[in-house]
Amino acid sequence: MGVIERNNVNVSGSGVRAMMFAHGFGCDQNMWRFVEPAFEAEFRTVLFDHVGAGGSDLKAYDRVKYSTLAGYADDVVEIGHEVDLRDAVFVGHSVSCMIGALAAQKAPGMFGKLVMVGPSARYIDDGDYVGGFSEKQIEELLQFLESNHMGWSTQMAPAIMGNPNRPELGTELTNSFCRTDPEIAKAFARVTFKSDNREDLAKIDIPTLVLQCSEDIIASKAVGEFVHRAIPDSEMIILEATGHCPNLSAPDEVIAAMRSFV
Amino acid sequence: MPIPRIDDFQDMFENSPCGYITLQASGRIERVNRTLLGWTGHTADEMIGKRFSDFVNMAGRIYYETHIAPLLRMQGFFDEFAIEMVTAGGEPVQMICNALEGRDAAGNPLFIRLALLRATDRRRYEQELLAAREAAKTSLASERETAELREQFIAVLGHDLRNPLASISAGARVLGRDAKTEKEHQVVAMLQTTVMRMAGLIDNILDFARGRLGGGITLDRDSRRPLEPVLHQVIDELRLSSPGRQIEADYAIDSPVDCDRSRIGQLVSNLVGNALSHGSSNEPVRVRAETANGIFNFSVANGGDPIPPAALERLFEPFFRGEVRASRQGLGLGLHIASQIAKAHDGVLTVTSTPEETKFAFVMPLR
Repeated sequence: MGVIERNNVNVSGSGVRAMMFAHGFGCDQNMWRFVEPAFEAEFRTVLFDHVGAGGSDLKAYDRVKYSTLAGYADDVVEIGHEVDLRDAVFVGHSVSCMIGALAAQKAPGMFGKLVMVGPSARYIDDGDYVGGFSEKQIEELLQFLESNHMGWSTQMAPAIMGNPNRPELGTELTNSFCRTDPEIAKAFARVTFKSDNREDLAKIDIPTLVLQCSEDIIASKAVGEFVHRAIPDSEMIILEATGHCPNLSAPDEVIAAMRSFV
Repeated sequence: MPIPRIDDFQDMFENSPCGYITLQASGRIERVNRTLLGWTGHTADEMIGKRFSDFVNMAGRIYYETHIAPLLRMQGFFDEFAIEMVTAGGEPVQMICNALEGRDAAGNPLFIRLALLRATDRRRYEQELLAAREAAKTSLASERETAELREQFIAVLGHDLRNPLASISAGARVLGRDAKTEKEHQVVAMLQTTVMRMAGLIDNILDFARGRLGGGITLDRDSRRPLEPVLHQVIDELRLSSPGRQIEADYAIDSPVDCDRSRIGQLVSNLVGNALSHGSSNEPVRVRAETANGIFNFSVANGGDPIPPAALERLFEPFFRGEVRASRQGLGLGLHIASQIAKAHDGVLTVTSTPEETKFAFVMPLR
């Protein structure tokens, strides 16, 4: 199975430059459904699902590879080679901001600009650094995820895998945008919330835009400011939008901020 | 408290058996019903204007922000999610929640409605199930590890036993050359027979361990070389090792058989050896091998007490030994390995047992 099928890669739009969208922990590429169409006229857009999410190939899920964000970044680079990305814009949400930062370092020249929506370099508090969560709270989250399987059942897995866009599967696909194998969800949550990329920020050598929501309990303003200060060539825009997913709750504001940057 | 009326919708909202929360499109709480305030101990003033996630535990907040809020935007509803609210006193209350998003004609969100049911018992039950599953998983994993170690041990042991056996065999050959008395010749012959039996047992052990470790029975098929000489050799060896027993062999192999000749030899040795040790000693063991209609047919029959039906069903399971005299006991792997060899050749091994005869039949396609 190729990279395109593995990561359920969808390319649309037209333009000389390309823009790649990466979803975070929780759902899949549908997170960009209100933002991506706005860029199709000027950019070749690339959407994909991380392995384990959405319409990706669950059989490709490798416990060891995906136990670090670097494993996910390797996939981004592979997709980038496959669809021939050069000097492209990488738009990451949540944990994918750091995945994009790692990918940009792994493949110099592939990305020319980074857009980070709700980034955090580390979620767990550490000395003077305020990430917003304690170690114990993250452990509780991992346990809690077992209580919400979103209607996942093993029998349904084949229907969900690779067929996210088949409407005839109708009601069976309820919650499918955010549903995955509970074991994988737990592992992705672990790698996300236990990641620490503070040291990687200074190495980012391309212009970066940090989009920060006004009230985001997952990536607070302090966390966003830390990211902004640590990246040499970065600017930060505080959105009026609240919550952690402005790409869904305030797409117009996100699109406007991105336009001014790219 | 005023007496409620059946058609009082205000009362139905406030004192419903479930909790209601209405959120503005921005996610801020607009309204909470009395039932929910009663369950959580919060006042309406404390809750209105805040975000729903301010009243749930940290795990629930993350989950709400990463799963529920996005799904409400994408599919407009979300049913049956578990969430833990926190009371004014800091106590957790387990809830099951349904949510829907109200939208205007253009699809923009107007509000979100949440209906919550207290589900403390249900959640405790689920958590116990989860804990039990976790415990089962752990114990299964440790069992598997032990089993694998055991099989690796068997494989290594079986392999290491071959070398000393080869020395014994070589020593017996040397002694055989110089043997003078009848007694000496008998002892040497007995030694060689024992070596052969042990070598067979070791082969079975190794095949079994390999099968369990994922290797399975591997075949080296060859349809050009004849099968019949292999059968002659195996049966002659068995005749030598069982003096006084009669083996009637009947061969009608006139087409090439696409098989692993040494594996088929092993199968024949296991089946005939089995007939010799369990069949009646004053009746012959009847062996027949033939090719006809595109299949290879091999059968071994012996007289004696029939095998009880209960034992018949489990005959091909590993380590099954039935009710036999201790002196006749082997490891119980011979028939299992024979059936595995049959399977590897896309064939089957079956057994029938009556007071007249017990018969093992192996059938496989010629190619």
